[in-house]
Amino acid sequence: MANLSLKHIYKVYPNGAKAVNDFNMQIADKEFIVFVGPSGCGKSTTLRMIAGLEEITAGELKIGDAVVNGMEPKDRDIAMVFQNYALYPHMSIFENIAFGLRMRKVPDVKRYKKDDDKGHKAGEPVLDKNGKEIPIMRKYTKQELAERVNEAAEILGITEYLKRKPKEMSGGQRQRVALGRAIVRQPKVMLLDEPLSNLDAKLRTQMRSEIVKLHKKLQTTFIYVTHDQVEAMTMGTRIVVMKDGFVKQIDTPKNLYKYPANKFVAGFIGTPQMNFFEGTLKKDGDKVAIEFAGSDAKIAVPYEMLSKTTPQYLDGTKKVYIGLRAEDITLDAEKVAKSAAKIKVRISHSEELGTETLVYGDIDMNGDGFAETGTRVIIKAGGFKEIAADTVCEAALDISAIHLFDYETEESIMPRIPEYNYLDCEVVSGKLKFLGNTLDLPPAIRCEDGKGELLIPVGAVKLNGPIKAEVTAGERINGQTLLTLRVGDGRLYALADGEAESGGASIGLDFKKIILRVGRTEIAPMPEVNGLNGTFAADKGADGAKKFCLVIDGEKFCAPEQVYTKMFAATTGRKVYNSAYRYEWSPYDFAVTDNGLSAKVLETLDYGEEKFIKCAVGEEILYVKADSVSGDEVRLTPDAGKVSVVESERQIRIL
Amino acid sequence: MRKAGAKVVKAKTKRALNVLITYCILIVVAFVFFFPCLWLILASFSKSGSIYSFDGFFPKEYGFDAFKSLFTDTVMYNYPRWFLNTLFIAVMSCVLGTLLTILTAYCMSRFRFRSRKAMMKATLVLGMFPSFMGTIAVYLIMTQFGLINQQWGLILIYSAQAPMGYMVQKGFFDTIPYSIDEAARIDGASNFTVFVKFILPLSKPMLVYTALTSFTWPWSDFILPKMLLIDKDLYTVAVGLMSLGETEFARFAAGSIFIAIPIIVLYFCLVKYMINGMSAGAVKE
Amino acid sequence: MKIKNYFKSLPARIKGVPKKLSARLAGAKEILTQGNGKVCASMAVMGLGQLIYRQWVKGFMFLFIQLAFIAYFIFTGATDLFGFFTLGTRESNAWYGVEGDNSVVMLITGILAIFIIVFYAVVYVANVKDAYRLQCAEDTLKAPDGFKKEAAALLDKSFHKTALALPVIGVCVFSILPIVFMILIAFTNYGGDVVPPALVDWVGFKNFGKILSLGQFAPTFFKIFGWNMIWAVLATALNYFAGLGLALLLNKKCVKGKAIWRAFPILAYAIPGFITLLGFKFMFSYGGPINYYIQQGGGAAVGFLGLDAKWTARFIGLAVNAWISVPSTMLLATGILSNINTDLYEAARVDGASAWKQFVKITLPYVLFATTPVLISQFIGNFNNFGIFYFLRGGLYVDGYFLASDTDLLINWLYNMSIDNNYYSIGAAISLVIFIITSVISLAVYVLSPSYKQEETFR
Repeated sequence: MANLSLKHIYKVYPNGAKAVNDFNMQIADKEFIVFVGPSGCGKSTTLRMIAGLEEITAGELKIGDAVVNGMEPKDRDIAMVFQNYALYPHMSIFENIAFGLRMRKVPDVKRYKKDDDKGHKAGEPVLDKNGKEIPIMRKYTKQELAERVNEAAEILGITEYLKRKPKEMSGGQRQRVALGRAIVRQPKVMLLDEPLSNLDAKLRTQMRSEIVKLHKKLQTTFIYVTHDQVEAMTMGTRIVVMKDGFVKQIDTPKNLYKYPANKFVAGFIGTPQMNFFEGTLKKDGDKVAIEFAGSDAKIAVPYEMLSKTTPQYLDGTKKVYIGLRAEDITLDAEKVAKSAAKIKVRISHSEELGTETLVYGDIDMNGDGFAETGTRVIIKAGGFKEIAADTVCEAALDISAIHLFDYETEESIMPRIPEYNYLDCEVVSGKLKFLGNTLDLPPAIRCEDGKGELLIPVGAVKLNGPIKAEVTAGERINGQTLLTLRVGDGRLYALADGEAESGGASIGLDFKKIILRVGRTEIAPMPEVNGLNGTFAADKGADGAKKFCLVIDGEKFCAPEQVYTKMFAATTGRKVYNSAYRYEWSPYDFAVTDNGLSAKVLETLDYGEEKFIKCAVGEEILYVKADSVSGDEVRLTPDAGKVSVVESERQIRIL
Repeated sequence: MRKAGAKVVKAKTKRALNVLITYCILIVVAFVFFFPCLWLILASFSKSGSIYSFDGFFPKEYGFDAFKSLFTDTVMYNYPRWFLNTLFIAVMSCVLGTLLTILTAYCMSRFRFRSRKAMMKATLVLGMFPSFMGTIAVYLIMTQFGLINQQWGLILIYSAQAPMGYMVQKGFFDTIPYSIDEAARIDGASNFTVFVKFILPLSKPMLVYTALTSFTWPWSDFILPKMLLIDKDLYTVAVGLMSLGETEFARFAAGSIFIAIPIIVLYFCLVKYMINGMSAGAVKE
Repeated sequence: MKIKNYFKSLPARIKGVPKKLSARLAGAKEILTQGNGKVCASMAVMGLGQLIYRQWVKGFMFLFIQLAFIAYFIFTGATDLFGFFTLGTRESNAWYGVEGDNSVVMLITGILAIFIIVFYAVVYVANVKDAYRLQCAEDTLKAPDGFKKEAAALLDKSFHKTALALPVIGVCVFSILPIVFMILIAFTNYGGDVVPPALVDWVGFKNFGKILSLGQFAPTFFKIFGWNMIWAVLATALNYFAGLGLALLLNKKCVKGKAIWRAFPILAYAIPGFITLLGFKFMFSYGGPINYYIQQGGGAAVGFLGLDAKWTARFIGLAVNAWISVPSTMLLATGILSNINTDLYEAARVDGASAWKQFVKITLPYVLFATTPVLISQFIGNFNNFGIFYFLRGGLYVDGYFLASDTDLLINWLYNMSIDNNYYSIGAAISLVIFIITSVISLAVYVLSPSYKQEETFR
């Protein structure tokens, strides 16, 4: 019955090891969130931090509206179910469930204990001099306890076992008791730490649906930790995939399956595991050639199908992972015949699962089809299908379901929201021609004439401007809309906040974000973040009131409350005054003033509508929005309320 | 067919031989352990007390004289008094010592405080010291505190030194899943509540084991009482029996039997706990 | 192998020490340089800073401790501390009725005074740290924990402080203080003629020199030390394997009535040690039953434990020790054997392993692994086994040995010298040597033992 907010949550051990890194998430009321990942990924640590069993190193955790960092577990109004049930072995089931209630008190008013001669009846509230009831905290009565316990037991179907001891019960029953112990307190948040992993497979499936049912019934926020992706996919409304302390992706089960953000998620979600081939992509006109490493296989697909791919990968040299799920590869003769994307597969063996058959093979004619290599392939075929080993077949790939990942970072290079629009362009005497349109380049961009390429980040397409366009499609992705626009004879992706309206539109470009390569010149985008090293100090204002300031280069900038409280919360003792920080601002958050940081102006950048200056504060280069400056020295005052803060030593983001 | 039969027969005789040898060894072992005890028991029923009036292991004449004089002849050797003294000291030390040991073990098992590892190593090292070398100092300290020739002094020493042997108990606590503590904490229990309501009830076998060992130590210790107790009326049985001469062998035997019986009974009743307790100190995989 | 690794990691560990130390010092430096006036107030007068911060109860508590300490120091502490260094200056003189200083008591009270000063210093540092913590809370706008909350924490978060207070004090006074006393005695000339009322003095390392160089001590020391090592190894091995064997025997499937068979060793275990030992002494004495039968058979009485019975007495000692200790090892092994996974044996049987193979390949490694810490403590226990030869052959001095017999262990020799013959300082020096030997062995083995390393796996 509460929402949760986790902001920049870190768990750093004294030896410097980071178990959880910058965990950010908003959990709405009544959600069923699943944390999933291999062991040691930090999922349990995060859960235990929410429970209060583990201290939060830095960050802000809110349950409901209250910040609960440092609050005792019992005061957080949460309940937790443990993997090994953690039932109290020496107490009966009733006592196990009732214990949490016995430890708690309920608000009530003072009442008469028995009838007295002044005519007061037992149970009647005692009134004070002003005739008001006196509020007190009292323990649960026996009757209340029994009612609550019975209610919980009934929900879980364990009423008849209440008198037994835990060791007289089976694993499934024990798990029910553990659940009962959690729900009897009617907590705001239910935390479940791998509750089913000690059960056998059949019972696990059964309990899985019961927990889902329980969630529906209780209408409480559930947070569930598991290492089993099937559990995650079947139970969660949203899933958090973690690895090595980092959140790899947060999304609904469907989106995780369809749009994995990296190779890890792609491989972790879904059985059998996604096939990963190594290879390269080369754009050639309106086709992209996909070459598979370790094999002769090579297919050509229309560029349109891979249009969201980050352009840097299309030059035929950068190695990528090509991911295809088993069900997106087919051996069906009819489909193969029709398909344009065919590869040869040498079959090695198959697993018949009843409704389907998993055919194992290798696209390398010398591969064995057993070892997990960059050429092994698993293909899902319907029904029973017997294929002799060593047969070489043709398989058709469903390119619309392809996933591409960077070879080193393993991040998706074909994200749902593409990074760039990749266009050919021409610059002629200060004018930029692309997609049949011509725009004046702002003075800040000085480029030689010639043909070249233009990379427009999707965020750099402004939804009003001189260029005529037509919205052909709109896709809602995580609260944003990805618009597909037709401009001239080409296609452009853009982002919009609201719902998409198809029809005519006019767009413009945000020139400070674009990349332009013509001849030997490359115009880089203007950095959006300006970082400055500094410290933190207390100060007394003119009125004697205490103030807290960010100190950069000896200059003090008073921080508003929401900034310094966060910084205090992220440190212990007076460490905040003895630590080095990196403060970050966007170019818009500086004001040119009479005092403040002294900066040397290096360049003025005129982007037409907006003007910026590039200046140096010490060694740091800053980009600051400033309409007019005189001289080569300015004084800058950053807006301390809009600062982002990173603690330098532990590399912890605080704001 | 026949060969297989022969093999079965051979295996059978082998097994029978195995059983036979096993039982032979067991009988020998039983004899070795039982005979000295039997000898003591027989000796206590000897009519004349001296060891020199025995036919080998067996007294020449039997009688209850030793027991009679043990409880009636209290002028020189006040055995009943010694017995009660021992009982008092042992019970009090047992209660206090167990409490302190269990508390120490619980803290060492459940809390991670800064000086913990140092303390654990220190107790280990201190345990290496030849304990009686410190007795001179203990004696001097007790004189300073005015606790010489007082039973409470002994109790104080026994219970204060008991926590040094907390390792076995800690090993046991380590095996109680930590998630029980955590579940209780989430349910609203403080660490004190966890200790009283969960750890203590769950460690009954360990409590029994601890109590038993901290009972038997003062019960059969000799050096400390001999040094700290001067009045013959305050003696414990161990000191008292040591003051008996060889001519009083029957009386010694009778006294020994009386002091051994309570412990033997306790051990036999609690042998399960003993086994569990002892192996709790060992490492588990 | 493991030991090698341990020593390999030693340089890294030693390198880590200054780092740890400097981390501590950095904390102190932070307080000294950044502490505000109120922290300084607490440095000057304990509790003053807390009082300014309106932490009344805590402030007055610290103040009270300081006042109490000052009072103690003025009235007794200072003289006690002074006495620790001088060990007395005034010799008693019965003629003039002068009551002299008792050096040994002064040593004890001196140590006590140092303990109290150390305790006070710890409280003082805690007081400064607490004041600084209040400053930190003030400076970062956090509400400081009030007294009520801190008191409540004593039963919750810092329950260990409450629970450990009594045991720690007890151990300090009755275990650590005596040991410190004994260590210090090793550096004095206490003993022989120099016992109160004569004045004792500090002599430095002279006693250690005496042990190594002086004719009377050195040969005895090395002879006894050699026997002591042999004894410890033999006794430990005998008890361990006999106990394990007995447990295995009783664990056999063919044995019926296990409880009854087990009862006999437990009987032996339950009888107080001194009774057993005295009983055996009687048994093997000149007039004892065994000699009775020898004489009946026409032989001459044998002094099993007599003056010249070196090896027979040693073997009797081993046997009697086994009689006393084997049952406990048996109980331990029984417990451990019941923990072994029976699947292992079944797998071994399917693989065709013989009973002996099963024992060598499964049982022994497992039991050895599980009992390493116990084995160490048994070794140390046997090394310092005072009772056996004290009761069997106590008070016997043999030629070629200085105040010892040929069966005596170092600890018995110590007893003879210090308690029976007043050689306190030499005894203390020897026990220090023993202590260093045993503690180095056991600490090394303990640190390397799996129980220490795997501690966290249970959590």
